[in-house]
Amino acid sequence: MNDEATSNADRDDDTTDFGYTRVDREAKAGMVRGVFDSVASRYDLMNDLMSGGVHRLWKRFTIELSAARPGQTILDIAGGTGDLAARFSRLVGPEGKVILADINAAMLEVGRDRLIDKGATGNIEVVQADAQALPFKDNSVDCITIAFGLRNVTDKALALRSMLRVLRPGGRLLVLEFSKPTSALLGKVYDQYSFQILPAMGRLIAQDADSYRYLAESIRKHPDQETLLGMMEDAGFGECRYHNMTGGVVALHQGFKP
Amino acid sequence: MTQHDPALLSAALAGAEQALNQAISLAPHSHQELDAVSGTLLGIEVTTLDLTVYIEMVTGTDVRLMAHCERETDAFVRGTLEDFAALATSNDPAATLINSGIELEGSSASLITLQQVIARMEIDWEAPLVDILGDVAGHQIAEGLRRFFRWGEGARASLKRQVSEYLLEEGRLTPPKPELEHFYDAVQSVAMRVERAQNQVEKLLAKAAARGTSQ
Repeated sequence: MNDEATSNADRDDDTTDFGYTRVDREAKAGMVRGVFDSVASRYDLMNDLMSGGVHRLWKRFTIELSAARPGQTILDIAGGTGDLAARFSRLVGPEGKVILADINAAMLEVGRDRLIDKGATGNIEVVQADAQALPFKDNSVDCITIAFGLRNVTDKALALRSMLRVLRPGGRLLVLEFSKPTSALLGKVYDQYSFQILPAMGRLIAQDADSYRYLAESIRKHPDQETLLGMMEDAGFGECRYHNMTGGVVALHQGFKP
Repeated sequence: MTQHDPALLSAALAGAEQALNQAISLAPHSHQELDAVSGTLLGIEVTTLDLTVYIEMVTGTDVRLMAHCERETDAFVRGTLEDFAALATSNDPAATLINSGIELEGSSASLITLQQVIARMEIDWEAPLVDILGDVAGHQIAEGLRRFFRWGEGARASLKRQVSEYLLEEGRLTPPKPELEHFYDAVQSVAMRVERAQNQVEKLLAKAAARGTSQ
């Protein structure tokens, strides 16, 4: 089943993807929470090891593309351990605000502690929130980022509409997410890495191969670049475009609220 | 779409940014001067590489390099890689800037101020060595490095002079500068005489043509 068909199936029945398995829609959030509860304490270390530190470069470009300015309000959804929020905090300054939101309490706890350790306090709010029903006022945020989070959301279309509602007119959404490699050779290497090396690293470092197998599977089930672009346009975003990074392993999608 | 892979460019810029900020941290006397130009945003476009980099002076101790920026720049310079290489190695950057193909948009004052601050920067390379190796070993190694760089500078100047002498005197592969200038003067003088002769011929031909029509 391709990604588009998968998203249609998401709408048509009561099941959804959890990696390569189909699960009840209601159950997915709890299962995803289980995965992130399991990896929260070693999440950043694993990200560094899994990506060879390249995730920092992908996030660096995301920050640049956000064009965050002093005084703005930035919402970082699925912000987990707070690395984007810490950088946004400096950019928006004391007169701005950063909202670090995540559905997972364990990840938020790690993120909040880390932000305090970095001295990033005063202009950051930490909120446990579901991306599908954001608990914020309409037209209240200048920029929304969601880095490596959208693929874990049960109903992505609903989440995109929720983000559009919260954004101010002219505000931008940035979706940083694993995507489809642009070269077939890189795709094969990437598959071997994801399904052989990644779970082995998960077993060795986080003592949890299953969670990392889920991460690899969920990446394959996530819509590719063009499909996600279409989903953003369907949700009502304008001027949508994307930047492939590291040969399409990751893509950064950008859209504006008209 | 961005032509360069943003992750690769980010890697290069992150490395350069870290090196720059490290160098600035080792030049405490420049912090005040750099603080005075904080907020300045410069854009550099290298047309041969289809590459644009933005440099923001965030504070006196913090420089930020970016591949993408939507703010209006204080100064934006555009040129080929060769132009920027010539500017970087020039003894007279202002003259090179004027005579090169580099285009400048915005305020040249902010660019010149920043260039002057950087030129005046005195980086204390000994400090990190002392921090890592201790006072005695750190100082000895720094002294050794300073001697090595002084020798390198002398060797480079000496090599340049000797190569020049060999090409001119021994190999006679290139003419000396005065001889070349004399040759250029002679060529110019011939060109002017030919031009004058051509004008005279044209005048005579015009006169002859006028006589022919009157008879």
